[in-house]
Amino acid sequence: MAMLMDLDFTNFGYSATTATTTTTATTTASASTDDGCNWNAWSPVVDWEALSSGQEDFHNLVDSMMDESDLLHNLNVRPNTDEECHDLYSPERYATVTDDESNSMEDFKGMRLIHLLMAAAEALEGRSKCRELARVILVRLRELVSPKEGTNMERLAAYFTDALQGLLDGVTTGGVHGKCRSHHHYKAEHHPADVLAAFQLLQDVSPYVKFGHFTANQAILDAVTHDKRVHIVDYDIMEGIQWASLMQALVSRKDGPPTPHLRITALSRGGGGRRSFSTVQGTGRRLTAFAASIGQPFSFHQCRLDPDETFKPSNLKLVRGEALVINCMLHLPHFSHRAPNSIASFMAGAKTLCPRLITLVEEEMGPTEDEGFVGRFMDTLHHYSAMYDSLEAGFPTQGRARALVERVLLAPRISESLDRIYHGRGEDEGCSWGQRLAADGFCPINISFANHCQANLLIGLYNDGYRVEELGINKLVLGWKTRSLLSVSIWSSKDNDL
Amino acid sequence: MDRTSILSNEAGFLHTISNPRNNPILDQLDTQGSNFFNQPQSNNTSAASQSTDSVEASDAKWASKLLTECATAMSCKDSTKIHHLLWMLNELASPYGDCDQKLASYFLQALFCKATDSGHRCHRTLISVAEKSHTFDSIRKLILKFQEVSPWTTFGHVASNGAILEALEGESKIHIVDISNTLCTQWPTFLEALATRTDETPSLKLTIVITTSASIVKSVMKEIAPRMEKFARLMGVPFEFKVLSGLNRLGDLTKEGLGVQEDEALAMNCIGALRKVHVEERMDVIKMIQTLRPRVVTIVEEEADFSTNKNDFVKCFEECLRFYTAYFDMLEECFPTTSSEKLMLERECSRTIVRVLACDDESHDHGGDNERRERGVQWAERLRGSGFTSVGYSDDVIDDIKALLKRYRAGWSYVLPTGSVGDASIYLSWKEEPVIWTSVWKP
Repeated sequence: MAMLMDLDFTNFGYSATTATTTTTATTTASASTDDGCNWNAWSPVVDWEALSSGQEDFHNLVDSMMDESDLLHNLNVRPNTDEECHDLYSPERYATVTDDESNSMEDFKGMRLIHLLMAAAEALEGRSKCRELARVILVRLRELVSPKEGTNMERLAAYFTDALQGLLDGVTTGGVHGKCRSHHHYKAEHHPADVLAAFQLLQDVSPYVKFGHFTANQAILDAVTHDKRVHIVDYDIMEGIQWASLMQALVSRKDGPPTPHLRITALSRGGGGRRSFSTVQGTGRRLTAFAASIGQPFSFHQCRLDPDETFKPSNLKLVRGEALVINCMLHLPHFSHRAPNSIASFMAGAKTLCPRLITLVEEEMGPTEDEGFVGRFMDTLHHYSAMYDSLEAGFPTQGRARALVERVLLAPRISESLDRIYHGRGEDEGCSWGQRLAADGFCPINISFANHCQANLLIGLYNDGYRVEELGINKLVLGWKTRSLLSVSIWSSKDNDL
Repeated sequence: MDRTSILSNEAGFLHTISNPRNNPILDQLDTQGSNFFNQPQSNNTSAASQSTDSVEASDAKWASKLLTECATAMSCKDSTKIHHLLWMLNELASPYGDCDQKLASYFLQALFCKATDSGHRCHRTLISVAEKSHTFDSIRKLILKFQEVSPWTTFGHVASNGAILEALEGESKIHIVDISNTLCTQWPTFLEALATRTDETPSLKLTIVITTSASIVKSVMKEIAPRMEKFARLMGVPFEFKVLSGLNRLGDLTKEGLGVQEDEALAMNCIGALRKVHVEERMDVIKMIQTLRPRVVTIVEEEADFSTNKNDFVKCFEECLRFYTAYFDMLEECFPTTSSEKLMLERECSRTIVRVLACDDESHDHGGDNERRERGVQWAERLRGSGFTSVGYSDDVIDDIKALLKRYRAGWSYVLPTGSVGDASIYLSWKEEPVIWTSVWKP
């Protein structure tokens, strides 16, 4: 089942100096996607029949509990205009979350949902904590929203409501379980085909996945120009798509050194039930076959993590003279978000290996070191609402397809995020992995101008709401409108100057 | 005298004369026996179906928490907080939900009126809505149903009737002046008791004094008059029925105005009446009663204090919330889940709540719709201050009370206060909290 072959990588190929791309996926700024569009051009693995069902019907979620008194009907909800109000709590800050439509009823409802979610978060862990109140607010929210229907805000609110409910239930049962407390029910829930389809959709309609891959790959190419042997240790290989494009780039280097030998070691986890469609072995087989087909010298290895997901560098097989690259993809759709101990041990192990390069891609959250749960909660809400908006820009009329991505990829992520910020990990909270690498003594490595240009070109293929920003010398940030979504940062260990 | 069988007909009067038993809810209740009141030990032990008392939950109930916070914010004029809390209450409240949601809904209405200074307007609207939606039949059904499922009103009736009968034993001409809110549901039983006395049946003159300006009451009284007369005829009691309305101030009542004759034994029956008097005029009314020199005065009031705190919004609010939480809880447990009568009673409360919390007393004449309750001890102090002495209840009356409470579901109890000032009164308690105060006085 060589699905990797089906994906058309040539269209996303690039070289070190020029970036010429054409694309089969037509996700440019034009909002209205024609029903007669050739869906199979997008991704053949996705079952478009199931997803495209003509016109989307937008429910009006009628408030079933309106008070009879006219006096209360006139009670308007207006955003808080009191200056003393903390900016974080001001709903205006989230003005971007509402639809671009001028439908004031929808805006009104969106504001209302935000208010309710914030009130629920407050009741759960805020200044005036009251579980009963939180429970009642969540009941009310569930009446108003559905994960399948309505506007972005409504669907997002549905998942946040579920996540909050999970926290509430966890609290009331007095549980401080292990790392994966409330999410085991997600593991079995998603059909692997759904996961793959969602992943394909995400790839095709947003630059989310490719931005991380291409920027990291370009940095790797820049760093190993003259090496004969390259060894990449990949924290979470999933389908290995990132490496297919890297290999293509390596073999198509013009006027350059001969193609180096590429070795990839993928970390694998003992526990079953991975939500990824492929197993690590399967990915290895596909990559090997692909490499053979394009003439890339290649070998593939696995490195097992301990059951508690600790990384032991001694389990790696290293070869003298190879350029060692550590690749750490933590953003959606990678699921390692839930295992900070695992990531921490991986980075600690990486340090002992003195790698040539470390490529790190992670979600960007707002600066929330001093915020309590509510502040972080609102930040998370803002983050995911920007994601929802960006996805909508990608396939605006395909609500059901978006709902799939939301359900399979975003919803578990939301739950995990909230779980993490609720159960907090002390001073580590609010610290990004990049910041930790800096603190651990890794050196930031400059991202080349060409890399930056390529990133801009890439997002130019998608909706013009995306933007790329450089932060410091070693970090590129992908954002949607005013919100940063993810960042790619490049590092090296101190003893290994390029 | 066997009072129990008399009590069994207490509810029978009004609906045997007009159309009986059209009510499906009544019929449902009937499945347990042909006559509700003939059931032995009906629901005393069947508390199992109810959830544990919400008051005992470790978490503060969310509605009272939010409402109290809002009231506090209002008294501090913290507009940000007020806005936020009103909004939140509006989201979560519903007059059709559980107790918390209902309390949130009705108290929110009052808070909102207070915040927007529209209490009087709202109150007037609520009154006119109520008047339009009520008829004699609907009121009758409501009262009957309420009396079937809860001793809230029947408790006072039993205690007062017993006290009056005992005080006027041997009298041949009885005149009762009734200033009450119970639309004469108390008197059929009384008439029966008169009829079954071993000595010669006395004559009864019943003068009803209407203090409220609500027109619905007058029209109800018009319907009641012939029914009462007919029932008295059936009982063989010489009977005279009079209705006095349009009175501006209760304190203006006189013997002449009431038509009290020298050879009559006068009794005053005030159920839920004193609280309707303006706070400043209450002593005048009590003095007026003194001047009438009745043989006995029976007073029944709801046990809550909305008077001493009328200038302290938060305290008054909290007391109001406490009282109505108990009341709504009682309604929730006594009535079936979907009961239109329960809904109507809750709506009646909403008027009172708006009246007490969002209307100031001085500026408007509400025609006797003041609702500032006082506790029993407060009324007792007033009465003693006017020269009244309290009269204890006899053991027979206590037995009647006991028998009455046995007919209702678990949760009810009566309390005879011990010692302090030696006031002889009885409290009806719901879940250990006193809710109704009854007492007997003589000048």
